Formats: sequence, structure tokens, C-alpha cells
Amino acid sequence: MSEPALLELEEISKQYGNIIALTGVTTLVNAGEVTCVLGDNGAGKSTFIKIIAGAHQQSEGTLKVEGEEVMFDSPRDALALGIATVYQDLAVVPLMSVWRNFFLGSEPTKRLGPFKWIDKQKASRIAKEEMGKMGIDIRDTEQAVGTLSGGERQSVAIARAAYFGAKVLILDEPTSALGVKQSGVVLKYILEARNRGLGVIFITHNPNHAWPVGDRFLILNRGKSMGNFAKDEITRDELIMMMAGGAELEELTKELESAAAGDESLAHLAEEFKEEVEVLEDRTQDDE
Amino acid sequence: MTTEAVTTESPPSASDERLAYRGPIQRLLVQPEIGALVGAIAIWVFFWAVTVPFGTAGGTANWLDVAATLGIMAVAVAMLMIGGEFDLSAGAMTGATGILVIMLVKDTGELGGAGFSLWIGIPLSLVMALGIGWFNGTLVERTALPSFIVTLGAFFVIKGAKLGFAKLFFETIQVGRIDEGAGYDFWRKIFSSVWTRNDHIFNSRDTVYVGLLVIGGVAILIGLLELTYRRRTPFNSGGLPIAGIGVAAGLVGLFALHATDGISANFIWSVVMGAGVLIGAYGLALWRFEPNADRGTLQLPTDVLRSVGLGTGLVALGVVVGLILDSAEKIEDREIVNIFFLLTEQGLRAILFVGLAIAGLVVLLIAASKARKVSHTSGAVLSLYTALGVTALAFIIRSEAEATKFRTELFSTLLLAALVMATWAVVGLYFAQRRGPDAAADRLGRSLAIGGILLATLGVVVRLLFTTDSELATLVGLTQFRISILWFIIAAVVATWILARTRFGSWTFAVGGSKSASRQVGVPAARTKTQLFMIVAGAAWLVGMLLAFRLNTIQASTGDGKEFEYIIAAVVGGTLLTGGYGTAAGAAIGALIMAMSQQGIPFAGWNSDWRFVFLGSILLLAVLANNYIRKTAEAAS
Repeated sequence: MSEPALLELEEISKQYGNIIALTGVTTLVNAGEVTCVLGDNGAGKSTFIKIIAGAHQQSEGTLKVEGEEVMFDSPRDALALGIATVYQDLAVVPLMSVWRNFFLGSEPTKRLGPFKWIDKQKASRIAKEEMGKMGIDIRDTEQAVGTLSGGERQSVAIARAAYFGAKVLILDEPTSALGVKQSGVVLKYILEARNRGLGVIFITHNPNHAWPVGDRFLILNRGKSMGNFAKDEITRDELIMMMAGGAELEELTKELESAAAGDESLAHLAEEFKEEVEVLEDRTQDDE
Repeated sequence: MTTEAVTTESPPSASDERLAYRGPIQRLLVQPEIGALVGAIAIWVFFWAVTVPFGTAGGTANWLDVAATLGIMAVAVAMLMIGGEFDLSAGAMTGATGILVIMLVKDTGELGGAGFSLWIGIPLSLVMALGIGWFNGTLVERTALPSFIVTLGAFFVIKGAKLGFAKLFFETIQVGRIDEGAGYDFWRKIFSSVWTRNDHIFNSRDTVYVGLLVIGGVAILIGLLELTYRRRTPFNSGGLPIAGIGVAAGLVGLFALHATDGISANFIWSVVMGAGVLIGAYGLALWRFEPNADRGTLQLPTDVLRSVGLGTGLVALGVVVGLILDSAEKIEDREIVNIFFLLTEQGLRAILFVGLAIAGLVVLLIAASKARKVSHTSGAVLSLYTALGVTALAFIIRSEAEATKFRTELFSTLLLAALVMATWAVVGLYFAQRRGPDAAADRLGRSLAIGGILLATLGVVVRLLFTTDSELATLVGLTQFRISILWFIIAAVVATWILARTRFGSWTFAVGGSKSASRQVGVPAARTKTQLFMIVAGAAWLVGMLLAFRLNTIQASTGDGKEFEYIIAAVVGGTLLTGGYGTAAGAAIGALIMAMSQQGIPFAGWNSDWRFVFLGSILLLAVLANNYIRKTAEAAS
């Protein structure tokens, strides 16, 4: 890769007073790649997000966006450089329709003299198209977001961020509140976003969600970086070992398989994953 | 680095199987104002039936006037409530702005007014009102205290200030004489014009009225058909001649009915017209819609049969009660029917008859909808049976009732209802309903339905605004429309537009629905809420001006306690108390409901104290009905 990475972090540290929240974190995010940030509760994931999203400033270390060193003063700065964050609560209003949510705060308008109103047709059409690009066919953009499933709600937030010019998408625990199948659906959206050339930072505490989609893994534990690996530098079981208490493998196998049943594109992921689980199981038996 | 890994060719073409198709009519039913609209119609019919002046132009002007001042506030308060806040100072503010403007324009006496002209006083009072709104909003935003508490404080401050200043400056609690202000003649036209309509004679008024109603009704019916049934491709032109015959028969029947007089002629032409409508609708459907392949056979499961029996029994019981109870004791020539009428034998008879008949018909309608789920044939047969029952009732009412309005208007309305029911049943039997969206049909259907509603409304307006020579001879009171009604309409239309179509409207729903989410996506939440408080204050100012110019003298207590009426009107109109959901049109309908009950009760000759009993019941009923309708409409579809 000759081009500079979309986002590069070198030895980032953060202290709140005398509390050290994060020390020596290094990783990078390339366009069309998924960087997974793994860590258990209290590992420093939130601090990490806040620094990249511009809500907090790092105490030490450098942050580079497309090769340029930057220091964000506010979330607005980060947004202006194309770094969009999809928080856990998604910033959607459940009682409002899909198209209104999609454009909330940035509605396209028409104007006649002193009167200005929302260009509803345009908003509705774009929302439908953008959701279509994420693989969701919204029949009626007047549908309230509250009536969508959890995964679809995620995709509204992701599609919205992508549409409004995000180059780097930070997803804060997008699968944590979701059921098994919906998690698979969200993983698919992550891949969709990646295929559209976005750099994705996928924050999760579940290595089994991270492994199938990640190109690079940053593991945090108690505020320290446990390592920053490209996918070919680490194996699945190593990744799981590095995480505190990996989740059940069986569950994920089923999870991905069921997701793959509805979507061919996931099928090879599920297969790959199943093989890996078998390998891992074999190895454990060998050890015995 | 691999990016080729996953490709998704096409979005899943089949829509989510868990979401059943919801037609435009079902979607209409989940609109927040539908419950209120049904309630408004029921209350109108009730007072129309029990009072003499309610349905007349003069009576309408009267209750519309009451609705206007209430409605302007209700619309603004609904916007604020959608934005997630309350304003308890809104009522007191209407009186305060009225007093304020009088103080500003009154002559400078010893401690009297400020002596401004109205040209300065009116804008100045607006600025001060907006200032109070801004203060309310800013305080709520800055302190993050519940608006309930903040505006409760503001309410007491305003209430006290009104009394205090009135006594301090004028040594009375009545602040009077806005007509002393310079520019009074001009501003009176803006805020207190009265439009007397008795001298506007238009003798073919009723022809125009009926014509507009018929055209509007047909447009609505065709629109609903378009929205409900599946289009065929290509259209079957074989249906056109049938439709033509139907339309011709309908028109011939209608004109003949209009031209002839006499029971047998009326009967014949009614039948011709009814047959025309049926044939016309069938022809139209044959032309445009796909036939129904699965009509099913006539099956009536026991539960349906039981409902049919119960419904028929109730209607029959009503008729028997009507026949047994003595109708000799008639109330002759009484203009006003007081509440004790309901305790007389005659009243009891009316209550039992109406109650049993309505209950019976509702049971029959439920049976028909149950039967439709079994087979289309069963549903159609039961609908026709119900339509027959309605027709029979219409004739019983015609032969029994004394008042002309029952003998003619109610009679023809019931017959038309029966006709529409029959038409719907026949089309439903032979043609297939839509199971998916169809943008073209939706657009046409919606335009037809909306156009039809507008035409029918225009017809009603024409009827209200004009008098005929024959009517003038028997007229008692003047028909006076106040300009406040115009302001009310403007407020409702503007607020509806703002909420539905502007960024500010979207932000209002957003800050009420989820403030944190709207902040995160860049909605200026604090500013939006503050502006909403200012809108309420501005509306209170408008109402204050209307009151000041109408009454000339304002009581210090004017408007106090009205804030709950505004909130009730908004809630009756479907606005969610917790914010994020509701419409301005709903609040306007809520205001109509409250005004109708407030004026209808004295019209009926009842003690107006009963109004609060009525009001409370309406609030509870409306909230329950809204809840129920939303749930069933969301569950059914």
C-alpha cells in the first residue's frame, strides 16, 4: 500500500487526572478494511472511541488522518474529516419514520421565497437507495424506525453515516444487544461497508464476531494494548486466548450458519469458520 | 489484503415476510387523529339530534367560535407536547397579553396606561409574550428541570402579576377599553370582524350542496376502491359500458329524485339511483380490477351465526320497544329539549330504540367481518344483510320520527350508508384485494379521496355560508361568523405544514421522541424547544388580542385554568403525553370536540355544569379509543 492509511494511531495514551485509561495504543485503519478493537469491559474501548471520534484528546501519541497529523477539538472536527461514529444507542428516534431519521439534522430542502421545506421525495428516495446498498429493501420509508428489527436499525445508522461522507466508520459494540441471527446480519453490513471502501473500526468484546470480518485486530486489556495484528499474523485461537474468557464457539458456528442460510455471501465465512472451529477442537484434543 | 471476499449481488428481493402488507386504509387508521375524528362525528350527530340550533348555520358559527380560541392554543400546545414539554402558563398568558395591550394603549392617567397607539402596543405585546416564551424555554433548557414545574411557576407569577398590576394601575380587576387606543378601527377588523351571513341569499344553495356532496362522495368511493383493490393489466374495456349504464342510471335517478315529489315517485327513483350506483361500481371494478378467483362458498360458522342472531335480535328488540312504548305522549312544538326529556317515556323510547339499533348493527358488522375471514361469499352476504337492516331502520325512523331533520336528512343518510355498504360488499365479492404496494394506484386513490373530501367540505361550507329565501322567512337568530374562526384555520394549517414538511417540524418530533439521539445527529435541541415555547406564547398573544378586541374589557382571571383544556384537546386529538407523536390537525379536532360539548349542552337546555362531566368522560374515552384503534390497526392489517 503506497497511500497513507486512512487513520493511523501511534502510541496513543490517555490519562484522566491520575487515572491512566489508555497506554501505548498503536494501530491503523485502511480503506476497505475492518480493524477490530477487542477488549472486555473496562479495557479502555470507550476511551479509544472517544479519542478517535474527537470527544476527548489524547494525552500522548499521534493521530494521523490520511498521513496528516491531527488533534481533534470536538466531534465536529472528526466528522469533518470523515470519521463517523455509530454509538450503541444508534442516535435514532424510534417513533419517527426511516427517511426522517436518515436525514435528521441534515434534511434536504426546497425553497420558494422565504419558505423552506423538506424535499420529502428526494429524502425518501435516497434513504431507500442507501438502505438498498446495505442490502435492506425498505418497502416503505414512512415506516417508524421503532418497528424495524435491531439489525435493521443498525443498518439505518450505518447507511446514514456512510451517506454523509464517512470515510472511517466507528461502530461501538453493534452486536452486543442483538440476538444471534441479527448479529450475523450486522456482521454482513460491516462487510458491505468495507466493500464500499470505508475503513471500519469494529469495537466488540466478542472475538467470535470479530474474527470472521476483521482484517486487523487490536486487543486491549486494562488500558494496555495486548497487540496489534494483521489477520495473517494471528490465529483465531490465539485471538481468543488473548481475550479474557472467549465466548462459546458452538454458538457462533450455529450463528454464522444460520445467517449464511439466508445469505450466500456469508456462506463461505461460515464454512471457513466451521473448519477453524474443528481445527481448534482437534488441537485441544491433541493437547490432551 | 483481500477485498474480493464477499459480494452481495442483489438486496433480498422478497420483503421481510414478517411484515404483512398494510394498505393505505389501514395506515390511515393508525393516524393519531382518527380516533378524535370519529369521536367528533359522533358528538356532532348526538347534539344535532337532541338540539334544535346545533346543526344550523347560526349554531355552527357559535360553537366554531368557541372552538377557535381554544383551538389556536391547542394546536400550539400540541406542537410543544410533541416536542416533549408542557406549558402550564399558556392559559394565563392569553389573559395577560390581552391586559397588557390594553395597559399599553390606555390613556395616561394618574397611574393609568402607557398611552401608546395600537400600532405600537400590539407588536410590543407580541414581543413581550415571545419574551415570556423564550424565558420559559431557556429556563427549562438551562436547568433541565421538568417543564411542568418551571411553567407552573410561570403560571403563578403571571396570574399574580395580572391581578397585582390591574389593581395597582386601575384599582379594579377588570381592565377595560381597548377602543380608546389609536388605530382601533383598523385592528378591530383584524381581530374582531364579524361576518353576518343572513343577507347572502343563494336560492340554489341546496342543489349545489347536494351536488358537491354527491360528487365528493363518489370520488371518495372510487378513491377507496383504487386503494383497496388489485389493478388488472391491461384494463378490461368490457367493464366500461356497464359502468356507463350504471352512471347514467344513477344520474337519471338523482335528477328525477330532485325534480319529483311524492312518495311512490321518490321510491322508484331512489331504487333507480341505487341500482345505478351498484352497477356503476361493478362496471368500474370490472374495468380496472382483477376478478376474485377465490370467492369461497357460503359458510357461517356457529360463532358468526350467533353474532348474526344477536345483532338481529337487538335491532328487532329496539323496534318492538319502539312499538310497545306509547308514542302518543308527544312533545309538540318544543324548541329546546331539556335533560328531563330523556326521563320521559318518549325519551326512554328514543334512547332504547337508538341504543339497541346501534348495538345490533355493530354486532352485525362484526359478524360480517368475521365471516369475510371464512369466505368472501359469506362476508358479502352478511354485509348485504346488514345493509338491508340499515334500510329497514331508515324507514322505521321515517315513519316514527316527528322532526323533519330525522325524517329527511337522517333517513337519506342511512339509505346512502346502506347503499355504500352494499356496493362495497358486491365489489368485495367479485374482485380481489391488493396484497402489495402499487404506487400509481395509491397516488390516484389518494388524490381522489382527498379531492372528494375537499369537495364535500366545500359543499358544507356553501350550505353554512348562504341562506335561501324560504329559510330566511323562518330564521330566528343571526348567523355570525367571527374572524377568530379564520385565525384558527390558519393556525391549524400552518402548524400541520410545519410539523409535516419543515426541518423545524422534523426536529420537533425528534427532540420529543429522543432528545439525546437528536443531539447526536446535530439537531439544535435546545433552540428547537425554546422556539416551541415561543410558538405557544405567540399563540397565547393571538388569543389575547382576539379576546381583548371582542370583549373590550378583560378580567384579570381570564384564561387561568384553561391550560388543561388545551392539553386535553391535544391529547384527545391523539398527541402522546410523553412526546414525539401527534398532529396539529388532531389537536384542532380535539378543540372542536370540546367546543361542541361546551356549546351543545346549553343548546340542549341542560345545566352547563354538566359540561365538566362530559369533558372528563370524553378525555377518558378518547384516550382509550386512541389506544385501542392504534393497537388493533397495528395488530390487524
